[in-house]
Amino acid sequence: MEIIETVGLTKNYRRFKKQAGIMGSLKGLIRREYEEKQAVSNLDLTIREGEFVGLIGPNGAGKTTLVKMLTGIIAPTCGTISVLGYYPNDLEHEFKQQYAVVMGQKSQLFFELTVEDTLRLFKEIYGLPEQEYQISKDYFVNLFQVQELMHVQVRTLSLGERMKMELIAALLHNPKIIFLDEPTIGLDAVASKQIRGFLAEINEKKGTTIVLTSHYMEDIKALCKRSIVINHGYKIYDGDTEKLFERFQKYKKITFIFHEPTLLPGLAFDARIMEQTPYKKVIVVPKENAAELLRALMSLLPIDITVEEEEIGTVVERIYQEGGKGFA
Amino acid sequence: MRKYLEIVKIYIKTQIAWRGDFIIQILFTLTKIVFASLLWGTIFAGRDKVTGFTINSMMSYYIISSFLTQLDMSSKVSREISQRIRNGTFSKYMIIPINIQGYFIAMEMGVVFFNLFIYFITSVLWIFIFRIRFVFVSDPVVLAGAVILIILGLFFMAQLNYYLGLLTLKYEEIETFLMIKDNLVAFVTGSIIPLTLLPEGIVLVMKAFPFYYVTYLPSMLFIGRIKGELGMGLLVLSCWCVVLQAVIHATWQNYRVKYDGVGI
Repeated sequence: MEIIETVGLTKNYRRFKKQAGIMGSLKGLIRREYEEKQAVSNLDLTIREGEFVGLIGPNGAGKTTLVKMLTGIIAPTCGTISVLGYYPNDLEHEFKQQYAVVMGQKSQLFFELTVEDTLRLFKEIYGLPEQEYQISKDYFVNLFQVQELMHVQVRTLSLGERMKMELIAALLHNPKIIFLDEPTIGLDAVASKQIRGFLAEINEKKGTTIVLTSHYMEDIKALCKRSIVINHGYKIYDGDTEKLFERFQKYKKITFIFHEPTLLPGLAFDARIMEQTPYKKVIVVPKENAAELLRALMSLLPIDITVEEEEIGTVVERIYQEGGKGFA
Repeated sequence: MRKYLEIVKIYIKTQIAWRGDFIIQILFTLTKIVFASLLWGTIFAGRDKVTGFTINSMMSYYIISSFLTQLDMSSKVSREISQRIRNGTFSKYMIIPINIQGYFIAMEMGVVFFNLFIYFITSVLWIFIFRIRFVFVSDPVVLAGAVILIILGLFFMAQLNYYLGLLTLKYEEIETFLMIKDNLVAFVTGSIIPLTLLPEGIVLVMKAFPFYYVTYLPSMLFIGRIKGELGMGLLVLSCWCVVLQAVIHATWQNYRVKYDGVGI
């Protein structure tokens, strides 16, 4: 069943254009110039119940604008939009009762109070009966293993702990859809992995539809079967995540650190050396040659090796250049 | 209704989260009291009455009006809404199933209940320390009317500040509106000087506006003066509340589509 549907969805922002300097400021007082920016353009989208969808794109691509329209925070300029059968910007309570939004850099918690205090508030806001509240709270507190943190001030929590609490506050009323905007931003690898594990479990066990925006490839790869790539407001790819990365993520960046000054051997395949000092080599290599490069350099006894995926921006740029639409 | 009660409770809890803030607020209020006593003591030196007020009735007026003025913390509401609209965090109120105005009024009530407690204690201390023969109305009807007037006044001020905050959706910058409102309120509510000291014509004009009934009239009613204005006060203030609520509704419906939630 489709629970999110948009046709020709467009959002234009109008913003004041000001020249720099005092003269620019004075001119702005007399004559205002505005410019229109199209943040989302003619976007068609359907998401089925229970899907875990990744929204990918560089900064300013239009991902967050799309999420803001889907949640009713902002109104579209034109096009049609239906989420759970509602027009989101009508801001009906019945609609808001059925979804949750978690924004990595914005908090719903009260920093001076305990998490328990905030959860009590959310219990009342969503009208949860006491028993249902206790069951739901216990489930998430056990899942996130945060029993010890329920009675300390929110401001004393680490970033990872706070994000877990944000997720509990958002999930308490068992929403049908969760919109997650950069939930792992600023988290270390362990905390990010834990959060990913929780999200996967919620999607699987509760059948919650999840729309995730993230800059981290790992988040998208690990969680989302389907990915939607947006660039300059346009949808340029909509399909299987595995296929997306298989086709468009072509290179790996491998960093080698050596204990002694080391010279690179000649390589029989295409490889770009990004950085080279006697102790450190950073090499970008086609992913099919990554194993070969590792084998070749392992004989030089590196003391540390890091393998990185290509940045999301590079992948998006490649999809854009190669025409991802045909692949959707 | 329970959700709004929980918001009231949450904001009472945030007010008492910090011990230092709590103590400083009490000390600050006591300091104001000392300065007021010195000022009015100097004005009344060698005189029994000033424009019909004895020092006791003047001090009683001052205690009550400053109590009511400090009770109203709604000016923070407009600035908070404005700031949140400008930095995009207003979205947090739009995504939860709650009436946003109701949220801010409940938030204001949480702060008011806390202030009520602080200022009540300090006012009682003031009366005892300075041995003021407190002048207070004994007629229960006037007393009840004055209390209703105070509640309506606090509600009106919360409405007004909520409305001014919403104007950020249209004008982006509302500091000028707030400055005009703050100056007007300080003068018209009689919290700077009792309005009886002003020319009669000016007071007559003020009576058509709501601010006269927010602090000044209840203060005067509490010290047993101008009882005849109670009915008119309740009527005028109720009308303003109804009108402003309609204006708020129209403003929200027209301007909320302008919200762009920048910064998130």
